[in-house]
Amino acid sequence: MSTTLLRTIQPNHFTLLGTALFRRNRTTTTSRHISVRCLGSQTASSQPRTAPKNHGSNKLDEILRDYEAVIGIETHVQLSTSTKAFCTCPNTYGSKPNTSICPVCMGLPGALPVLSSKVVDFGVRLGLALNCGLSLKSKFDRKQYFYPDLPKGYQISQFDVPIASGGYVDVDIPLEFGGGHRRFGITRVHMEEDAGKLLHSDTGDYSQVDLNRAGVPLLEIVSEPDMRSGIEAAEYGSEMQRIVRYLGVSNGNMQEGSLRCDVNISIRPIGQAQFGTKVEIKNLNAFSAMSRAIDYEITRQALLYNQGQADQIVTETRLWDEGAQKTVTMRKKEGLADYRYFPEPDLPEVILTQEYVDSIRASLPELPEAKRRRYEAMGLGIQDVLFLANDVSVAEYFDQVIGKGADVKSAANWLMSDIAAYLKNEELSISDVKLTPQELAELIAAIKDETISGKIGKQILFELLAKGGTVQGMIKEKDLVQITDPVEIEKMIMKVISESPKQLEQYRSGRTKLQGFFAGQVMKMSKGKANPALLNKILLEKLDAKE
Amino acid sequence: MATRALLAVLSASPPRMIQTKVSTFSSSSSLSFQRHSRRIARCFSSDTNPSVLQPPDVSRLAETARISLTPSEIEECGAKIRQVIHWFGQLQQVDVSCVEPAIRAEMEGGNLREDAPETFENRDSIRASIPSFDEVYLKVPKVLNKE
Ligand SMILES: [Zn+2]
Repeated sequence: MSTTLLRTIQPNHFTLLGTALFRRNRTTTTSRHISVRCLGSQTASSQPRTAPKNHGSNKLDEILRDYEAVIGIETHVQLSTSTKAFCTCPNTYGSKPNTSICPVCMGLPGALPVLSSKVVDFGVRLGLALNCGLSLKSKFDRKQYFYPDLPKGYQISQFDVPIASGGYVDVDIPLEFGGGHRRFGITRVHMEEDAGKLLHSDTGDYSQVDLNRAGVPLLEIVSEPDMRSGIEAAEYGSEMQRIVRYLGVSNGNMQEGSLRCDVNISIRPIGQAQFGTKVEIKNLNAFSAMSRAIDYEITRQALLYNQGQADQIVTETRLWDEGAQKTVTMRKKEGLADYRYFPEPDLPEVILTQEYVDSIRASLPELPEAKRRRYEAMGLGIQDVLFLANDVSVAEYFDQVIGKGADVKSAANWLMSDIAAYLKNEELSISDVKLTPQELAELIAAIKDETISGKIGKQILFELLAKGGTVQGMIKEKDLVQITDPVEIEKMIMKVISESPKQLEQYRSGRTKLQGFFAGQVMKMSKGKANPALLNKILLEKLDAKE
Repeated sequence: MATRALLAVLSASPPRMIQTKVSTFSSSSSLSFQRHSRRIARCFSSDTNPSVLQPPDVSRLAETARISLTPSEIEECGAKIRQVIHWFGQLQQVDVSCVEPAIRAEMEGGNLREDAPETFENRDSIRASIPSFDEVYLKVPKVLNKE
């Protein structure tokens, strides 16, 4: 397993970084500060004006009192099929460049595309998971443009009859961003093929092309323009990632480009029905970047409005510059691109039977939203719920632990604190650990019924995580059973007290804090096995006893 | 191949013609069309009278196809393309209002493939035919902007 902690157990990047960002916002330097400053210097260069004075972190909130942002997202998901969409070339990431090629994906004359059934399967799966209606008959079209990463001169896509349309997705906004539940519309999901990879060398007057990716299957998800802030957009993106991972249709990895989000954003004065000019933002390779890019763009556009220069907001594609924390013009769009779509003559229509759709519906796993609502109903707090449901393997592990009858809150706590920390340090994912869900349930039970103390439990946990084994075996082997016999505990207490007359005197003359010292000594003597509650109760009796 | 070429020519024609094309394609392709009344279908067929089809703007066609043509070539092509469009005009005069629209030609089942990878054996000859190769990559002129 190459999956690391970042991908598996921690809340996604967006939440993690977002939280960090939020914390910074509340102190002195803020990312929003930074973006506002960048903006200031950018506009200052084109026309002399004073940079905005208010660098407060509530700058964006202020803007959003006057303007409403309208955000839609196009998400491209690379499918984890074994072959490319229309040929049998292996679909593998990171192979030697230009080795996974054949006449079909290279667009050689006479080659005919044949669709992989898995692409249809995944399309139906995702369509259903996004609550879409499915087209029992859909078709492919050619989208034509010239670019070196596109050997055929056209991309096989779906134009006017996508496989799925008219759905929605439900998300929970994390508490640190105000919390709450949102529903965003899904316009459509369609099947298409990816283009090759174009590498621009900084030196040299040429570009390099790797066509291993040309023809790899994609599902494009188009949202309704329902998002209103960077946070909402990032949470929408995170939910897409969770859903494709839950479904197993893609690894959803943004760094590898398996999940790519393009954001369309416009702002309009509140109360205006007409949409503003739409700007597209690309190059967003993390949800945190998406959130910041959008907030930057809202601020930039609002300033132009405020200066009476709304006409300077033009239809264009902008890139997010992570280093400078701002968006920069990539290309202006002169007129709408004419892709000259027409039906792909080499492929038949895609026909789904109702039985096929029903069988896929029946085989869908529990999806993130259903899981979150179920965890919530079990009494877990929303932060626990979001953490556990964020990663499908963590959620499955958690479900197995509670399936063995473990206390729900204890199981959540162990997973979110000690186990999460261990995975982070060791750079492991939950599926790599030797501790089985069964044994975690045993451990929780052993602590609950006081066979072992919580402290011993922690020691056992780390051994089990690293080496495996059973809780019962370890308790026996190391003689770790908790001492709950009051007589035995009392004996140890008396011994410690008799060996520390000085401390006893100080305690009795008012330094009651020394109780901790005595408790520690007794615990040490018991090798950590004394029941803490019992220990403290008896210790207090003895310390406070009048001689 | 013949249809492919014709479709390419048609799809690369001036805006007015594209509109005509798109309306026919989408009307015949969208499932909702099946619910349309026969009267509307008739409207469509009379709508696509050849007289509506405008002569091609060959210069623009050449631009979208990324080829350069001399004025005499433009003149020569113009006549040929007009002829093709005229043929389509004739085809569109056929009354198909009683025919159930199909979004694609139907094929007897089994037009999908198993997701089983198979490496194409003669990859070397594909690579050998690429005119400009830089170690493992195809070498192309530096391009930064799409469209
Ligand atoms: Zn291929």
